[in-house]
Amino acid sequence: MIRQAFGKVGQTLVVLFIVSFASFGLLKLAPGDPIQIMLGSEYSPEAYAALSAQLGLDQPFLTQYLDWAKNFVQGDWGTSYVARTDIFTYGFLEALPVTLTLASFSLAFAILIGVPLGVLSAVKKDTIFDAGAAVFALTGTAFPSFLLGILLIWFFGVKLGLFPVMGYVSPWQDFWGGIYHMILPALTLSTYFIAMITRLTRATLIEVLAQPYIAAARARGEPGWRVIWVHGVRNIALPLVTILGLQLGTLLQGTVLTETVFNLPGIGQMLTSAVLGREYGVVQAGVMMTATLFIVVNLLVDLSYPFLDPRLRDRK
Amino acid sequence: MTKIDHKKILAERMSARLGRRAVLKGLGAGILAATAGGAFPNVAKAQQSGHLKIASVKVIDTLDPHFTGFLSAIQIINNIHNGLLKISYDGSQVTFEPDLAESWDLEDEVTHVFKLRDGVKFHDGTPCDAEAVKFSLLRVKEGEPASPHAWKLALLDSIEVVDPLTIKLTFSEPYAFLPVALNGSTGRAGTIVSPAAVQKYGADYGRNPVGTGPFKFVSWRDNDAIELEANTEYFETGLPKLEKVTFVLMREASTALAALMSGQIHGMTDCPMQLVDQVDAFPNATLYGEIEGNYTYVGMNCQRAPFDDVNLRRAVAWALNRDTLVKQAYFGRAQQAYTPISPPMTGYFDPNIATSGRGQWFDLDKAKEFRAKAANQGEIEVTYMMAERGPVGTRIAQTVAPMLAEIGIKANLELVEPASWVQRRNGGDFDLYDFEWVADLDPEETLYPEWKSDGAWNFCRWVNTDFDDLCKQASTELDVAARAALYHRAEDLLMDEAPCAMMAHMPIYKVFSNEVKGFNYIPADLVNLHTVSLG
Repeated sequence: MIRQAFGKVGQTLVVLFIVSFASFGLLKLAPGDPIQIMLGSEYSPEAYAALSAQLGLDQPFLTQYLDWAKNFVQGDWGTSYVARTDIFTYGFLEALPVTLTLASFSLAFAILIGVPLGVLSAVKKDTIFDAGAAVFALTGTAFPSFLLGILLIWFFGVKLGLFPVMGYVSPWQDFWGGIYHMILPALTLSTYFIAMITRLTRATLIEVLAQPYIAAARARGEPGWRVIWVHGVRNIALPLVTILGLQLGTLLQGTVLTETVFNLPGIGQMLTSAVLGREYGVVQAGVMMTATLFIVVNLLVDLSYPFLDPRLRDRK
Repeated sequence: MTKIDHKKILAERMSARLGRRAVLKGLGAGILAATAGGAFPNVAKAQQSGHLKIASVKVIDTLDPHFTGFLSAIQIINNIHNGLLKISYDGSQVTFEPDLAESWDLEDEVTHVFKLRDGVKFHDGTPCDAEAVKFSLLRVKEGEPASPHAWKLALLDSIEVVDPLTIKLTFSEPYAFLPVALNGSTGRAGTIVSPAAVQKYGADYGRNPVGTGPFKFVSWRDNDAIELEANTEYFETGLPKLEKVTFVLMREASTALAALMSGQIHGMTDCPMQLVDQVDAFPNATLYGEIEGNYTYVGMNCQRAPFDDVNLRRAVAWALNRDTLVKQAYFGRAQQAYTPISPPMTGYFDPNIATSGRGQWFDLDKAKEFRAKAANQGEIEVTYMMAERGPVGTRIAQTVAPMLAEIGIKANLELVEPASWVQRRNGGDFDLYDFEWVADLDPEETLYPEWKSDGAWNFCRWVNTDFDDLCKQASTELDVAARAALYHRAEDLLMDEAPCAMMAHMPIYKVFSNEVKGFNYIPADLVNLHTVSLG
């Protein structure tokens, strides 16, 4: 077990190294120059040279990468070139919690809405309800989230005045305020996942409901809701968790647009503005955090299997 | 008597050069008079109330006035700092008035003497005296690292602290551009920062700005908000009126508009042109905006084929239908430009420019004549580099391309991402591109650094030493009419050799909800909140 854990950590480090090098390299290969962006239009060549030297951007690529990696590992994430932000504070303390909150709310929405909808469609297979849910799911997967976000803003925010259209309030400081501000963005981001979970739940549950143990439960005279929600739904947990773990990347991708539309100061916005401004250090921090998040979540998914499926537990 | 003459000339220049109508022209030294009643520090403290939230939809680079390259940053910096002089506007006339200075005199043609207000303190409690002013000016002129705005004080020979409240600046030649150099363009050479704070924070000053302004800096969270609070010790009696100001940093302007309409914020520091119709139709907000000191153009690369051919450039200059451009690219809100000098530069801008015969305009026959003289008579393929940037994104390129087809130029529109657009523009890797020079207050800054031979901003790489000479002469000429004549000659050279095809002078918009009272609009893209209150 311990050897396994070490193996996983080793693997993780190798992956992170590859990711960091690739993203650093790609960004350097892309045309564009942070100093030209920083200085606006009105500057002299002397100012350019001075700044370039000051920021170490006149060094060779490998030196720059190694400098960055050495400092990063030691916990010194540096400061951004232009705004002189402390990247650790900006990325880890300020942006990461926003994205985590958004992602967990969206995930919660997706599960709380998607699973019941999927179960109902499976149970009421081939009825008008099932067809309606299928239409909803298809629309949900096909609808671009940024457009949905703008529509939600105009309808619920501006026309009806029900929800705030932008901004982040930390649910740790103001729980209801936090939820209130998070409803529209989380709904926007989760539409795709609600749809996906609905389809997945329906398909798996139909399969599960055809299994002999369901027939056995029914034969024992257990009530219908118990057969479905306990015996049935329990058995779709495994594929559901696996898919959610793998789809985390898509979810994090989705935060980029959602955060921009709803003006949430999360990692998505941080990464877009950093890429546009060629803020190498900030991009690296964002990439490392999302990569780590992805790896950790999938590790947790792996670890959760024995709890979800007793057959996978170690036998003593 | 020479002293008086210089003062009078300067006063006339100051009142005449920028106003819509030169109302004050001839009043002479009147506007130079000391602002009486300015020096009552800490008396009659204002009662501040209200928390203004305003969306800032453009990138803020740094809050250091001596290093910023963006007007969006100046909008905030101006609420934290003061300058020696300030720009003010009475609805028809832009003038420069003493700000931290109580008075401003010319001892002779090259010596400017500023008397400072007594008792002004920075937000950190240190005094704002002549030494502090000297420190700031030197920081711009020869500081380390070098300020991108150092060129504005290149002619400054010496700074003498006469007494704690008097400072004397000596220039190597008469410097007509000085008030603009101190207050104009995207940096603020004449803005005074706290020496103690600069020493304390070093390169991080832009993250911890300390000025003398009506608001103190509180915090800056990236992509989120910049917070300011009232400076209760502010030297202008009764100001500021607000207790707190939050600049909400947003990138999606349509979300900012939605937030304004739903009452979550009180205004926008910049309202993009495509949203202006919506704001107009919304009853609870007021739009502020006029044609400002700017011009937009299609630039041609003079250093490589095919646009190294002056006749081909002229053909392009005459082939653009400015009417269509204004309607389609600028939502009908801009004004056709004949030359770079823009309407707010009174005394230099010719109100009858349309009929004067000067400049460039749409004349397809003339364009075809020039096209017929071009060296290359076959179909010419060029690269038009465009990006989702600037006031109207790629709309200009899309509107211009079919116009070029009329004269046998096939423009391949190449959409690049803004960072590489900047790099390629600076590196001269394009045939055509479109650009705008904004928030200019004076013909000097609107013409010379942009188009001088070998200038760093002369991205079209146009070379004409006669143009350079005319601009240099004009910069030391104190008589407005004579100076205007020189700039007009320089402009004529530029328009004739056409490294650029003029397009438009643009209005720049800001919007505030009707709860916001007392906003003083200044047509230099400023958002000064000194007098603003929430009703």
